[in-house]
Amino acid sequence: MLEFLRRNRVVLTSGSLLLISLLLLSAGARTRQRIDPVASLMREGMRPLQSAVTAAVDGVADTWRMYVALIGVKKENERLRWRILELEQQAVRLAEVEQTDKRLQELLNFRSTIDGSVQAAQIIGRDPQPWFGTVSINKGEADGIHKGMAVVSPFGVVGQTTATSAHTARVLLVTDHNSGIDAVVQRSRARGIVEGTLDSGCVMKYVKRGEDLDVGDRIVTSGLDGIFPKGITIGEVTHVTRGNRGLLQVAEVKPSVPMDRTEEVLVIGPGAHLKGEAP
Amino acid sequence: MRTAILYAAIAVVALLLQTTVLPHVTVGRTSPDLLLIICVYLGLHQHTVAGALGAFFLGYLQDAFSGSLVGLNAFGMSLIFTVVYLTSRRLWVDNAISKIVVVFLASLLKTVAVLLLVALFMSADGVWQTMLGYLLIEGVLAAVLSPAVFAILAHTQQLTVVEEE
Repeated sequence: MLEFLRRNRVVLTSGSLLLISLLLLSAGARTRQRIDPVASLMREGMRPLQSAVTAAVDGVADTWRMYVALIGVKKENERLRWRILELEQQAVRLAEVEQTDKRLQELLNFRSTIDGSVQAAQIIGRDPQPWFGTVSINKGEADGIHKGMAVVSPFGVVGQTTATSAHTARVLLVTDHNSGIDAVVQRSRARGIVEGTLDSGCVMKYVKRGEDLDVGDRIVTSGLDGIFPKGITIGEVTHVTRGNRGLLQVAEVKPSVPMDRTEEVLVIGPGAHLKGEAP
Repeated sequence: MRTAILYAAIAVVALLLQTTVLPHVTVGRTSPDLLLIICVYLGLHQHTVAGALGAFFLGYLQDAFSGSLVGLNAFGMSLIFTVVYLTSRRLWVDNAISKIVVVFLASLLKTVAVLLLVALFMSADGVWQTMLGYLLIEGVLAAVLSPAVFAILAHTQQLTVVEEE
């Protein structure tokens, strides 16, 4: 008997403990009350440890949550920074569109003052060498542009076409030293030739010494060269030189068109003229 | 005696983790039952009366800190210890994989036993469905963690053996 107990002591102990467990359960279920002073003592003993570990875990959890939140803030910050850049770009684009719209409106208004064939074109390139005043436009022979056509803007004369290809044309600016335009002083109708200079300005030559020419006078095209319609502004006289001798006087002219800032132009066909002016 | 104290300390630490840290890392509202893994270890390696008492103590510890009736987990742990003890005496369950399988099956057995006791002693409607829903997850979690817990327990046991020698 003792040998049996000794050999099966583990199983018997386990069986007893299972029985005790069931008795405890049964007692608890019958009374429907949890009366267990040992468990209370154990819970009381564990309380400081549990509090300490919970505080540590909460601390780590808080730190982690804060870290995650910071990452979120950083990402949000990055996103907002990009958004600001996008909006700034958008604002620049809108301003550009507004400016273009204004220029095109002016060009359109100016175009309505001309009778005859007129083509709007955009300047797509400038002369790589500073001492030549030429630009390229995005219209060519396919659009009816040929050599020797007048190129103007709402501010006045830009130049004339000197070479063309299918879809582009080269424009010799009024400020180029190879350029020459038959012109008159608007006020006194004194005639002369406006030529370009190497310093991106113009001079009016071949004006008779006796003609009335003064600083501030507006110079316009005469329409006699068969290229430019009559009455288009070329510029304004800034200085007049009259020598002691000779039959002619020379005037420095400031072009009315800001050549380096002009982006759109009109190419005027032969026979076109300003409304109100004789062809 | 020293071994018993060490096991008790490990059980307390496991309970501490189970009541403070592990609820933060739940999988489908379930967290791993570390005390069950210790109980299986006792069943596999402590074939003594102390082992049986230890399993009961683990269950009682769990009862003390849970809202259930006292004796529910004590019964479950004692049952696990007995079944694992009897199985390990007849079958070879000494490699890592078989231990993991034993832990998984033990988890299922304990849940089923607890469910039966709940049905017998408490009239908690709906507990069945809820507990059955988490039966497999609980088993898998315990099985996954068992190699690490077993390694710690084996290391502790080796230390006590060396010191006793």
